Amino acid sequence: MNQTAVPVRLENIVKRFGAVTAVETVSLELPAGKLVTLLGPSGCGKTTILRMVAGLERPTEGKIFFGSDDVTQLPAYLRDVTMMFQSYALFPHMNVFENIAYGLRVTKRPNDEIRERVAGVVAQVGLQNLEQRAVQALSGGQQQRVALARSLIMQPRVLLFDEPLSNLDAKLRKRVREEIRELQQKLGITSLYVTHDQEEAMAISDLVVVMKSGIIEQKGAPRELYQAPVTRFVADFIGRANFLSGTYNGSSATVGNYSFAFAQPIQHGNVTVMVRPESLRVAKDGIGLEGKMHSVAFLGTTTEYTVDTAAGQLEGVMAGDAPLLAKVGEPVRVQFANEGVYLIQA
Amino acid sequence: MVAAIPSAFSNRSSRALIPAVLLAVGVLLLPFVRPDRPFELFNWDLVALNKATWLAWLLFTSSAVLSVLSWLRLPMLARGYALIGISSGVSITVFAWLASTSSYFGFGALAALVCLLLVLGVGLSETGLIQSDPFIASSIVLCGIFVTLFIAFPLFVVLRESIIVNGAFTLKKMAETLSSPLFMVLENKFTPRSETTIVFGIATAGAVLGFGLMFLRKARVQLLLGTTLAGGVLGFIVGAGVFGRGAFATSLYLALIVAPTTVFFGLIFAILEQRCRAAWVRRILSIVGILPMITPPFVLAFALENWFGAQGLITNRVFGVDTNYFKGVTGVAIAQILAFTPIAYLTLRGSVQGLNPALEEAAQTMRSNPWMVFTKITLPLLRPGLAAAFLLTVIESLADFSNPILLGGDRSFLATEVYLALTGRYDPNEASVYGAVLLVLVLTILGLQRAWLGNTSFVTVTGKPGSGNFSMLPRWLENTLQGVLGFWGLLVAMLYGSVFYGSFVKIWGVNGEFTLQHYIDFSGTGLEVLARTAQVALVSAIVATLLGFLIAYLVTRQQFFGRSILETTSMLSFATPGTVMGVAYVIAFNVGPWLLTGTFIVLVLALVFRNMPASIRSVMAGLSQIDKALDEASTLLRAPSSTTLARVLVPLLIPQLLSGIVFAFVRGMTAISQIIFLVSPGNLLATVLMLSWLEQGNLGRAAAMSTVMILGLLGMILLLFAFSKRFSRNGTGLEGIG
Ligand SMILES: Nc1ncnc2c1ncn2[C@@H]1O[C@H](COP(=O)(O)OP(=O)(O)OP(=O)(O)O)[C@@H](O)[C@H]1O
Ligand SMILES: [Mg+2]
Repeated sequence: MNQTAVPVRLENIVKRFGAVTAVETVSLELPAGKLVTLLGPSGCGKTTILRMVAGLERPTEGKIFFGSDDVTQLPAYLRDVTMMFQSYALFPHMNVFENIAYGLRVTKRPNDEIRERVAGVVAQVGLQNLEQRAVQALSGGQQQRVALARSLIMQPRVLLFDEPLSNLDAKLRKRVREEIRELQQKLGITSLYVTHDQEEAMAISDLVVVMKSGIIEQKGAPRELYQAPVTRFVADFIGRANFLSGTYNGSSATVGNYSFAFAQPIQHGNVTVMVRPESLRVAKDGIGLEGKMHSVAFLGTTTEYTVDTAAGQLEGVMAGDAPLLAKVGEPVRVQFANEGVYLIQA
Repeated sequence: MVAAIPSAFSNRSSRALIPAVLLAVGVLLLPFVRPDRPFELFNWDLVALNKATWLAWLLFTSSAVLSVLSWLRLPMLARGYALIGISSGVSITVFAWLASTSSYFGFGALAALVCLLLVLGVGLSETGLIQSDPFIASSIVLCGIFVTLFIAFPLFVVLRESIIVNGAFTLKKMAETLSSPLFMVLENKFTPRSETTIVFGIATAGAVLGFGLMFLRKARVQLLLGTTLAGGVLGFIVGAGVFGRGAFATSLYLALIVAPTTVFFGLIFAILEQRCRAAWVRRILSIVGILPMITPPFVLAFALENWFGAQGLITNRVFGVDTNYFKGVTGVAIAQILAFTPIAYLTLRGSVQGLNPALEEAAQTMRSNPWMVFTKITLPLLRPGLAAAFLLTVIESLADFSNPILLGGDRSFLATEVYLALTGRYDPNEASVYGAVLLVLVLTILGLQRAWLGNTSFVTVTGKPGSGNFSMLPRWLENTLQGVLGFWGLLVAMLYGSVFYGSFVKIWGVNGEFTLQHYIDFSGTGLEVLARTAQVALVSAIVATLLGFLIAYLVTRQQFFGRSILETTSMLSFATPGTVMGVAYVIAFNVGPWLLTGTFIVLVLALVFRNMPASIRSVMAGLSQIDKALDEASTLLRAPSSTTLARVLVPLLIPQLLSGIVFAFVRGMTAISQIIFLVSPGNLLATVLMLSWLEQGNLGRAAAMSTVMILGLLGMILLLFAFSKRFSRNGTGLEGIG
């Protein structure tokens, strides 16, 4: 763990581009040495926040701190922040070595040090023997690593990622994101990562920040967001969910004909009940929401099914090898498991 | 082990230190003022201490204060305001002193002002008034001042002269000039038909055509109105050009013929260069495409007349006709097409080479046929380049005055009227009116170009390196285009052959006896003038390219207050015909502290601000194809902007920069319209001397001089191009050319 890692704090950040408000009063703390992900749909202001941390944009209002230093007015080239760009932004007229060494050359480090440090990061990211290659002659994954190496070699106070994996194919994406995660944890560099892929966000982050049109909807550990989303938007964005309108009286919740014991500190009265697909339990009879099996699809490791109820169609998932209790068209009762159910203020 | 970095609170010493120290050195050692036009390198009597003692001490004091302020680690914000206050106050004082004592500024005053402006820039950066690093802020300040002083101010003077006659405001001159038959006349009294009716008939037909074409394609109402209007205007121009008379009609008609033709040929050549299998094409292209550009325009016109004119070798000797057809729009158009196609070619070359083959490959894999790939992918990507080339040639055509003056016959042209009004009719106000008309015309075209291009960004070179190769042209097309090129080459060879021949025979076209006498005559004054010209052209080319690069960079890559003003103003000199700019410089820099006429510097400046927009354009086109993420990556790797420029952008733009320098140098060597008013006995330039020889009938001597010049420039260009090809990123196939 890196002893010198600093926390990054955004205080009431607002960013406007003319009439467009890209970011609306965002406050956020990135704990030292942790990886925080900004997650949200296109245009919600993720990149803008990232660029403000980098110093490439100045906030319209608010302050940014690295540790106790106010860096709001500090120009980008003095911030000691590096970034991995979606397009990699490798310098096409330099070979792999020169690309990686660029920052050290610019800061006029001695040649010996440069050689040593480049060799170090090259080994870290697994680019051995490619140092003299032209960057054009590398595969997408290799170019990605060069970009990573170029960022890491500066031992930055903060490391930024703007959808760095979106140009890679699915398999490679998974591998590279694990490598990034591993390296980041090993080096303990405070990191901010932008993506609109929730799976990527869940896999890589210590903390996920869900954004929607310029404001933060919710922040928390991946598991927390999944289990206790405070808004329907978050529940929908993180994983899949069924939303049912119901009521809550402090000890139990009711949806249609189905009441179940439940405790959650939330105002009594009308609520939206969020149920994850894997939390549905289907039975032939007994207590439960009345419904009819609508479809069943066997997908190998899992089986997905839908049930029509008076409260709407529910999506369910169960293990692929679990016995099927009802056929399509048969009447069923649906119950909810204890986990994966959460009440949202209606 | 995170390296210690300066935090927002730690105070740094300021970048203003160096200019602050240089300020004192410049004031101490350089002549502050000039007694007369020439600049003196050193004269103890003229330094500030001996000329204006109190001012000198003020400058020394402020230099000392600024240096100390910069050296100490003070809070940035407060120091920034101090730098701004002192530097602007002192520079205003210097200026006021110069103006009030009517002294001509010298190198000392110049150095002092530049240093103070640099300090001002650093101050603006430290206070955050310009949110960029000191280098950028200083560049913005300096570029802004230069552009205002040497483009906006002279143009303002021209406009002022067109409405203020003898110190009083009047529109009479304007009305008089515009209603004169020299400007435009449609009706020809000596023919029974009504030219006016015919012209408006053609205009209506054009409008109907414009409407119909778009209507059939079900275009939106706005577009429909636009094309209808465009059709009408174009129809009117064609009608007036063919049936009417007068400078306005003729010049527009000419530009309408010349610009599309040159852009078309330029595109053909650029594409041929990139996608042709035959190596000879590229070899020929590198010579043929360049040749007409390295020739003073009137020489080509003279050679053309020699072959095709009333007494021409082909028209008269071979076919036995004695026709004046060549004199007039036809001749001028042919001469201009020959002269300007290389300009279009060079402008398009950068864009064509910047294309990313992967895009075309992608389209091909989607089963587009080659024609669709070309029209749907390649052409749209080339739009910035095409627009730049079109604009450039329209302006060149409108502004050119030497071809019309030699081949124009009885037609009058806008640029020639500017010239004739000033040098023939001695009426600077009338010349200014013509200048204003030209200006408005070109600005209109500029506006149309903007509307067409919009704000589309054409980022095709991203940091994700492209790979792949361009597909070659289909055989039949390649052969056709090669044919065009071959024909072009033949024509050009004929023209140059005749100049070359003319320099070695006793009397061009009359006595074919071999002689070296012309070269001997030429070498007397000619060589000296040629060397002087090269000096002026080289200095101006380098300055123009660097300044143009800087402005292009600032305008496209930085955000600051007044950005679009800087861009528009820099482009204004582009829109200004050389003759107008020449007149403007004569009027603007003939008095007061800015006395510059009759010096070497005014020639350099005239050429700098003439050529700079071209390099701005070419760098902008280049920059628009370099992903901005490259700059940002460099910045985040702790490179200040100056380092990013030097290490990333300059290397990536070397082809553009080199061609920019070559282009500017050549234009400087062969320019005539902007400098014909500005030359002085001590500063005679080659083209002016040559033209006067031609006018005196010393054809052989003029031919000898142009031969020397052409061969010299050719050698230089080939050298530089060979060099630039080594740097060209898209170098596949270019490397092999010997
Ligand atoms: N330079 C700019 N000028 C004007 N508007 C901008 C600018 N940059 C961003 N915006 C606007 O700000 C909003 C947020 O943009 P931002 O790039 O931060 O979104 P994002 O969350 O990164 O989206 P994506 O996932 O598509 O990358 C958008 O509405 C965008 O149009
Ligand atoms: Mg984004």
